[in-house]
Amino acid sequence: MDPLAKLTLPPPFEEALSRHEREIMRFLLRMTRDRDDALDLFQETWLRAYRAYPQLDSEQGLRPWLYRIATNLCRNRARDNSRRARVISNGDGPGDGDHRLASAAGGGGQEDTLHLRRAIAGLPHKQGQALVLRKFAGLEYEEIGVALDCSAESARASVYQALKKLKAMR
Amino acid sequence: MLEDRMWMREMLDDDGPLGMDGAPGEAAVGAALRAVRTRLARALGRVRRPLARAGVIDSPVGRLLVAESAHGLLAVRFLDSPDAPGALTALRERFDLVEDTRAAARIRREIERYLDGDMHALDRPVDLSLVRSGFQRRALMRLRRAVPPGSVITYQALAAAVGAPSGQRAIGNTMASNPVPLYVPCHRVIRSDNTIGNYGGGVARKIRLLRAEGFSLSRDHRLPAGSVMGHLGTHIFCRPRCPAAMRANRAKTVIFADSGRARGAGLRACKLCRPV
Repeated sequence: MDPLAKLTLPPPFEEALSRHEREIMRFLLRMTRDRDDALDLFQETWLRAYRAYPQLDSEQGLRPWLYRIATNLCRNRARDNSRRARVISNGDGPGDGDHRLASAAGGGGQEDTLHLRRAIAGLPHKQGQALVLRKFAGLEYEEIGVALDCSAESARASVYQALKKLKAMR
Repeated sequence: MLEDRMWMREMLDDDGPLGMDGAPGEAAVGAALRAVRTRLARALGRVRRPLARAGVIDSPVGRLLVAESAHGLLAVRFLDSPDAPGALTALRERFDLVEDTRAAARIRREIERYLDGDMHALDRPVDLSLVRSGFQRRALMRLRRAVPPGSVITYQALAAAVGAPSGQRAIGNTMASNPVPLYVPCHRVIRSDNTIGNYGGGVARKIRLLRAEGFSLSRDHRLPAGSVMGHLGTHIFCRPRCPAAMRANRAKTVIFADSGRARGAGLRACKLCRPV
């Protein structure tokens, strides 16, 4: 039989939403460490997901796609925040955005997580993102590749490099 | 210096994802979800696409993707055609699909009844909102209204009928992109040399459909010798070479498989050429 004859209908958007809302919210809370921001980005992520849903081939493609959107929104927000911070402090001090990314490394603000956050913030951007998606969101390398717009191999290499650097600091 | 805590060691030494240690509490996640759900539902409601019921059916003419809106039948796509995935995407861009096996089964039964000879089985309303231009919509509606089962029309005559006498090319494209084949009978549009021409679902299907409607096609896919020209304005039908038929307005001329079909459609025989 022609493989195209096996074409099936995708699940309704609501089903995708209820299947993934929890992990996306968890991811955003972790990334932003700010409940209001997390709620805003959650809504924006799903509105964009709704708009793009017709173009997504399958439900399997949805999850990394969601993380990609959520990651980009977090990055934009971090950039906006750091720009705002720079304006206020007139260019002094470290970029707040890096802390935002590093803040993804969860925990309750104890010393060790603070160290870890700083360490992740010191990593090159892509390595830090890949590490967070792998370790804290639990994505497969293929999914990280989709989220960061690179190959699975490149995603694996980024996580490897990030871990190597963190270990060197230990 | 990173302290060598348990979970940090796990993170640095293990390849897999971390446990839940670093995560926000599940209660916090749940509360955040509850706080945002209503707001998200309202925002989604503002950009919502209309609903369409859809399904995949195994019909006598092959596996089909079918969909209907509140206004009528939206799509019938042959799944073995190379543009089936694109057609599904186009459908999803305009409508939110809900799988509905009962609605799909109704459509399957209609097609079965039709191929068994019930020529009114496909008379339900169609929704042509997937059709891009007004010209294409007009052509498809005209075809559906004016060319009954047991008759065919040429690309040229259909073009003339929608006010574009030299638009047979555009008519060809319109038929090729017809979202509701069978129900909008693009298989009833043929070439001016009386050969049946192409079909989006493959020529074999076009032959099958035309045979089901009473045409006995020759081996080179031409119309049968006994076919007659019917004029939808005067309601008279003629032999193909009748001088009256030659003079008649092409835009109102269709071709019937035989005199019986023409009479069945309410036409009378020409007194000049006396078709039998």
